[in-house]
Amino acid sequence: MVAKRKKKYSVGEGAQFMTRKAALKKLQLSLNDFRRLCILKGIYPREPRNRKRAQKGHTGIKTLYHVKDIQFLMHEPLIHNLRDTKVFNKKVARAKAVKDKTKLHQYLENHPTMPLDNIVKERYPTFIDALKDLDDCLTLCFLFSTFPSLAHVPRDQSALCRRLTMEFLHCIIETKALRKVFVSIKGYYYQAEIKGETITWIVPHQFAFEPQHKAEVDFKIMSTFVEFYTFLLGFVNYKLYHDFNLFYPPKFNNMVQNQNDQALVDEAAFLSERVLALNFPISKSNDVFEEDVNIDDFVSEGDSEEKIAEAKKEAERIRKLKTLFKGLKFFLNREVPREPLVFAIRCFGGEVSWDKTLFVGSTFDENDESITHQIVDRPSMPNQFISRYYIQPQWIFDSINARDLLPVNKYFMGEILPPHLSPFNDPERDQQYIPPEERALYDPTLLEQQHKKDQEAINKGDDEVEEDEAKEVDEDAKEVTTKSKLSVTKGEVYKEVPWEKSRQEKQEYRLREKMVKKKHKKLYKSMMEGKEKRAKEIWLLRKKRRLHDEKQAGEKTIKEGKSVQKKKY
Amino acid sequence: MASLGIKRKRVSKKNKLAWRKHSKVADVEQFLDEQWEEERLGAIEALPDDQLFVLDSKPDKATITTRQSKKLRATRPLKGFAALQPHTSVPDPIKKRNRVQTKEERKSDLVKKKELDDRRNGVLKLKEINAIAERRLYELKRDKKEKRGEFNKDVWSEEADSVLQNDPWAEKVTKVHNLRNTGVPVKNRPIKSKSLLQVIEPPHPGTSYNPSFKDHQDLLRTVAQEETKIIKEEKHLDRVTRQMFRRVTSNKKDSEWMVEMSQGMTNKEEKEIKEEPEDLDKISINPPVQNKKKSVQQRRKQREQLTLENQLRAKKLDKKKIGDIHTIKVLEKDLQKLAKKQEKLREVRKIRAEKNKLKPKVLSSTKFEDYGPDFQMGQDIAGNLRSMKKEGNLLSDRFKSLQKRNILEPSKRAHYKKPKVKKYTKPGHKDDWETTVARRKITSK
Repeated sequence: MVAKRKKKYSVGEGAQFMTRKAALKKLQLSLNDFRRLCILKGIYPREPRNRKRAQKGHTGIKTLYHVKDIQFLMHEPLIHNLRDTKVFNKKVARAKAVKDKTKLHQYLENHPTMPLDNIVKERYPTFIDALKDLDDCLTLCFLFSTFPSLAHVPRDQSALCRRLTMEFLHCIIETKALRKVFVSIKGYYYQAEIKGETITWIVPHQFAFEPQHKAEVDFKIMSTFVEFYTFLLGFVNYKLYHDFNLFYPPKFNNMVQNQNDQALVDEAAFLSERVLALNFPISKSNDVFEEDVNIDDFVSEGDSEEKIAEAKKEAERIRKLKTLFKGLKFFLNREVPREPLVFAIRCFGGEVSWDKTLFVGSTFDENDESITHQIVDRPSMPNQFISRYYIQPQWIFDSINARDLLPVNKYFMGEILPPHLSPFNDPERDQQYIPPEERALYDPTLLEQQHKKDQEAINKGDDEVEEDEAKEVDEDAKEVTTKSKLSVTKGEVYKEVPWEKSRQEKQEYRLREKMVKKKHKKLYKSMMEGKEKRAKEIWLLRKKRRLHDEKQAGEKTIKEGKSVQKKKY
Repeated sequence: MASLGIKRKRVSKKNKLAWRKHSKVADVEQFLDEQWEEERLGAIEALPDDQLFVLDSKPDKATITTRQSKKLRATRPLKGFAALQPHTSVPDPIKKRNRVQTKEERKSDLVKKKELDDRRNGVLKLKEINAIAERRLYELKRDKKEKRGEFNKDVWSEEADSVLQNDPWAEKVTKVHNLRNTGVPVKNRPIKSKSLLQVIEPPHPGTSYNPSFKDHQDLLRTVAQEETKIIKEEKHLDRVTRQMFRRVTSNKKDSEWMVEMSQGMTNKEEKEIKEEPEDLDKISINPPVQNKKKSVQQRRKQREQLTLENQLRAKKLDKKKIGDIHTIKVLEKDLQKLAKKQEKLREVRKIRAEKNKLKPKVLSSTKFEDYGPDFQMGQDIAGNLRSMKKEGNLLSDRFKSLQKRNILEPSKRAHYKKPKVKKYTKPGHKDDWETTVARRKITSK
């Protein structure tokens, strides 16, 4: 007996993959439903190693899925839900066609819903996983919150997105988690840090709705993504609010609706308007929450002391950043984009208000004398207060990125603004030569140093005199110290060789270098060589610059000397 | 009147009666009436507007809202029963007409009393009891259903996690037995490895609404480089496709096609001349085969030739074998060369694979196309937020990003093709029976 011959593609790559059409047939779903299911469950098409084998001998390019993925989908109860929806749609269509109003109402009242909480849990087993994947979610939700009702987009989706995103912003404000802001031509880039995870998202500019071209983007697909993301964001909001001891849905302290207001809007609308205003602190369940965590002092094996020192410095800077605008009072003019500025200011402890007629939730009037900054984006204003600065909105963003209050003089009303630089720098930039002027733009403390240096160069003559005086003072001090005498015999001083430590470190470093695997040795070598080369280049350019500066300074002093001489004559 | 050619009937108006009958003085009388009226009341032109016109402030019919009208309509008898109503106002001659009594009317007083008592005492019928129970159940179910946009539970709470699910010692059978239909999956799905690309790419500093000159120039340079690449590619494609062939008008092409296709076709006249009967043997290229047998001698010689040939071949092979011993070094070198080449290839492939990791995978027959970075020219940059111009579409940017990260397969929009409708006139509506050849000629003229 000969063993039965195996059929082709019954094992190996041919058996691992499945075309989309085969998957549709297996799941008994329409293409639209299948796409929806795949997006909700997070199942994406795959690229095989050998396409011809994976396609069972067929040439051309087909969309392939893993058989295991499809089998996984087969157990999904959501499929029944999709089928229910299909039946429901047919029933509704029929009731509409025959104008059976009672049945239509009955059907619409009992429409099938899609609970996605299980799927959220399944796709993100831990909360941290969900936070890691929040970038896409936030960007899409912020985008859809600007949309009107469109074809293929559920009617309430944009309103839901708006509510959820605003609640998220409230959470960021309460935890002071914002780190970076960048205003680009595309929109506002924000970066926040929640539970050690950096989350970046883009918010579109607040202009009128821009019609989207159908040919470019499949709205149905994007809407399905947003459907899932609203669930994700909703549950993330719930968890965040509870972790930071806030009430969810958000509540406000001491906010009572007037009798007049009650006649105009109901309580829910009143509350949601205050949420959208972003200007009121949400009430906390208890005030114990304090996220100040001290960094441990002990050294673990992995990181050196330098790293720990760096981390401590960074923590200190962030602590300072959190209270950047504390005690400052801002007033927004009506031409200024309200939402991003209110968010940015409130995140760092500032107080904001705006014109009463612009939006609900303004807290103080323009005439308030305690306002320190008024944010303006027009060339001039007829009535100005002396007690406050009139600055352009870029000052807020630049100050946040610089993590310090920048001098306001460059940002006054009508002034031509300094460039708005991106805080999202690539690490590659460290290995490039940056002229000192540009470096100063990124770090204002350097600017001051540069300025001081220039000043020193000017006042060199005066300095020399001062130095003499200083020397005298030093000598006096020395005399004082030599006077005090104690009868102690001279001991043997333990002399620490100054270079010994660094030598030791270098040696250890070299040993560690030896541990690099053979596989990566070449790569490592080339990497280090490149680094050295770049460092050398930077050094060379700096040296050239230094020489050039010195030469110029020398010329200047000679010129000045000549001019002085001329004056003397 | 004369021009029309119709003669007016003449009537004699010699006596008073005939005069009164036949003379038409209505217009004269009307004119005189009007004049008299005018004299009495004054000319219309002279009257002011408010005397002539009246402001219509009240509706002719009392307006009612749709709601009211609906209520009114509900009180009226149904239109469907109009046929049952007598259509005359003549009273029914039969004073006492028999009528089928309703179920309620047929009930005896005793039963009615019992029902009333039952209701008072709270005794319900089974049907009613069931209805109440069902209603309660339905309301419970309705309240339990999660409302859209309401998030009031912690998905990641540790209480929700099943201990059994993550227990390394539990058998699969146990897990299936205990976890089935509880909503807890039997095994956790491993998290898939994601694309190496960042979800939100860090923005180029040149895309700032108020960029520094250097950053902006950097951005423009990268954009220009990409653009020149595309232009070069397009030029190349144009050169190797369109410019390779000459271009002709469609008319010329048709005529050329005619000439080309009729190549080798003989004229009719030539054919007629050529047709001459010929001998069949002479026409045939292959002469008829004859079965000639080889002689014994010939066969022997052939055999000997064959053996000799084989011997020579074997000798040559032997010789080559000895010679090959000396070429071992060369062979070895060749092998080494091959190995080296393959090693190099392997490395190149490795590097390529590393590079391709950042590229989108091929997921469908449509090729992925990126739009490239968004940028603004110098004249579009206003330098302040108020008069800033927006650039780029965030939605399409997200869509492309999803495609880039292998989450969506790139696809073209499936166009809805409008089905072709064949037009024809119904047989009964055709009017070509009216047209004749003669008529058509006339109309065409």
